[in-house]
Amino acid sequence: MSVVELESVVKRYEGGAETVVALKGVDFHAERGELVVVTGPSGSGKSTMLNVIGLLDSPTEGRVSLDGRDVTDFSEDERTEERRSELGFVFQNFHLLPMLTAVENVELPSMWDTGVDRRERAVDLLKRVGLGDRLEHTPDELSGGQQQRVAIARALINAPDVLLADEPTGNLDQATGRTILDEMTRLKEEENVAIVAITHDEQLANYADRVVRIVDGVVQ
Amino acid sequence: MSVLWRFPSVLMAWRNLGRNRVRTALAALGIIIGVMAIASLGMASVALQQQASSQLGSLTNQVSLSAGDDLTTDGLTDDQIAEIERIATDATVVPQKTDSTELTSRTGASARVSVTGVTNADALYDVSAGDSPTRLTAGALVTNSTARQLGLEIGDPVEYDGRLYRVRGLVESDSGFGPGGGRGELVLPLSALSDQQYYDSVTVVAADGDAASELADELDAHFNTDDETDVRVQSYANAQQSISGFMDTLQTALLGIGGISLVVASVAILNVMLMSVIERRGEIGVLRAVGIRRGEVLRMILTEAAFLGGVGGLAGALGSLAVGLVIFHLLAGDAAGALQWASAQYLLYGLAFAVVASTLSGFYPAWKAANESPVEALRG
Repeated sequence: MSVVELESVVKRYEGGAETVVALKGVDFHAERGELVVVTGPSGSGKSTMLNVIGLLDSPTEGRVSLDGRDVTDFSEDERTEERRSELGFVFQNFHLLPMLTAVENVELPSMWDTGVDRRERAVDLLKRVGLGDRLEHTPDELSGGQQQRVAIARALINAPDVLLADEPTGNLDQATGRTILDEMTRLKEEENVAIVAITHDEQLANYADRVVRIVDGVVQ
Repeated sequence: MSVLWRFPSVLMAWRNLGRNRVRTALAALGIIIGVMAIASLGMASVALQQQASSQLGSLTNQVSLSAGDDLTTDGLTDDQIAEIERIATDATVVPQKTDSTELTSRTGASARVSVTGVTNADALYDVSAGDSPTRLTAGALVTNSTARQLGLEIGDPVEYDGRLYRVRGLVESDSGFGPGGGRGELVLPLSALSDQQYYDSVTVVAADGDAASELADELDAHFNTDDETDVRVQSYANAQQSISGFMDTLQTALLGIGGISLVVASVAILNVMLMSVIERRGEIGVLRAVGIRRGEVLRMILTEAAFLGGVGGLAGALGSLAVGLVIFHLLAGDAAGALQWASAQYLLYGLAFAVVASTLSGFYPAWKAANESPVEALRG
């Protein structure tokens, strides 16, 4: 059973005069321990697909399942719970909170969970991405590569099933990008998590178990 | 910090406020001014009220009677005095004859003074030096100010109507209210004014303001009818009532002015929170994307607003306390009066009002932040 599954997903944006169809019946799946890279030109619909998988956006038609459960018609609050426990996000611009230290940023998704202390796991994750000596640094004291590693640790704090990455190496030089990809490849096995990454980066495709190309809202 | 971790909204709010200290300080300054306005004006009105009632204090239990327009004699008669004494059984009745004269000192200085002939002088006057005769049968009392003006001391003689009286006591100057206020006063035995057949005024000293007020009504009903006023009856208890009524109005008006400035301050907080939420749109999108619930975002922003109100309110209350001490020192002559609950309560009201108003102002920005679509917010 696939941990993520899209079946005939259509996403239409009603925009006044014209209607934009971003996804035209997409089928997609990803398994645990697998790195799937989604490529395609700008405006092909790959970001929309990532948002649908990440439960940030709901499809107009079709079906979305997480770990075999149909989550298509989940309410905003139910989707928030799924994002918190089953999904992790890594963004192109890292999106760390500037007023929190590295370890606090990693703890962020579990911060409001009462009676749960994730400090130990946060420290462990940061050590595993090579930032054991940067725990109390704030994002402006970290390099781009270090910030992205903090972001990866944050995405894994609640032990999700799926990690979604939007251009994870887009703001990094090639060498740094490579270390991030090494990190992600290692962690997907250690954490047994499915990684879905969208990218323009050819390099990333080399690390992929599978590459899905999407053009004009259709998987090729 | 470890304690703060148990209250993530508090931690996040605290860190967020620390990011733009100038803006935070300016927003808090608005609240400080609002709280100081409301608390200082509240305390000032309490100080005014206390000062007014302490000045009136000695007069409020007195009823003063004098000849009315329809009295045929030139003053109150012995019979009328007897009737007053019969009605005011529980009060001290002090008949007085009055005149005025020019006092001259040995050095040639002179002063125009009112002359009051009275027997039981101690019921009306506070003697600050010399002895306080329960029955004034010989000698004289003069007000402090007159004594100073003329260089009179206890034992010195003063002349009235061709006879000499020895000064045996100095009395407090009248506070400017009531009969003979303002001018210096020479108090003599009634016998000194025996040329006058009738009494110019009678002061009835009752136990308290309420008793005086009641007595005034009773005396008025006894001597006067609707058409005829034989005896004019005046009670200062009524004056105190109308003054404290005025003070209440003044207090409401002052608190209203203070309240308006606090409302203005909370609009400023609304503006600051709204701007800060719009600026942090992307960040709040990240929070929502990583699974922070809408209610948690709402609490975080509300805590920020409450913090602004609390910190500003606390600083404002401290400032108001300082202002209150100065006001009480100037108006009531006793700075410690500001610490009494009657005035100190306004510090608490100001603080509470600040926290409540700021939190209310935070609601719209917090609601807006919490309900933004994460996709839209992340797009920036």
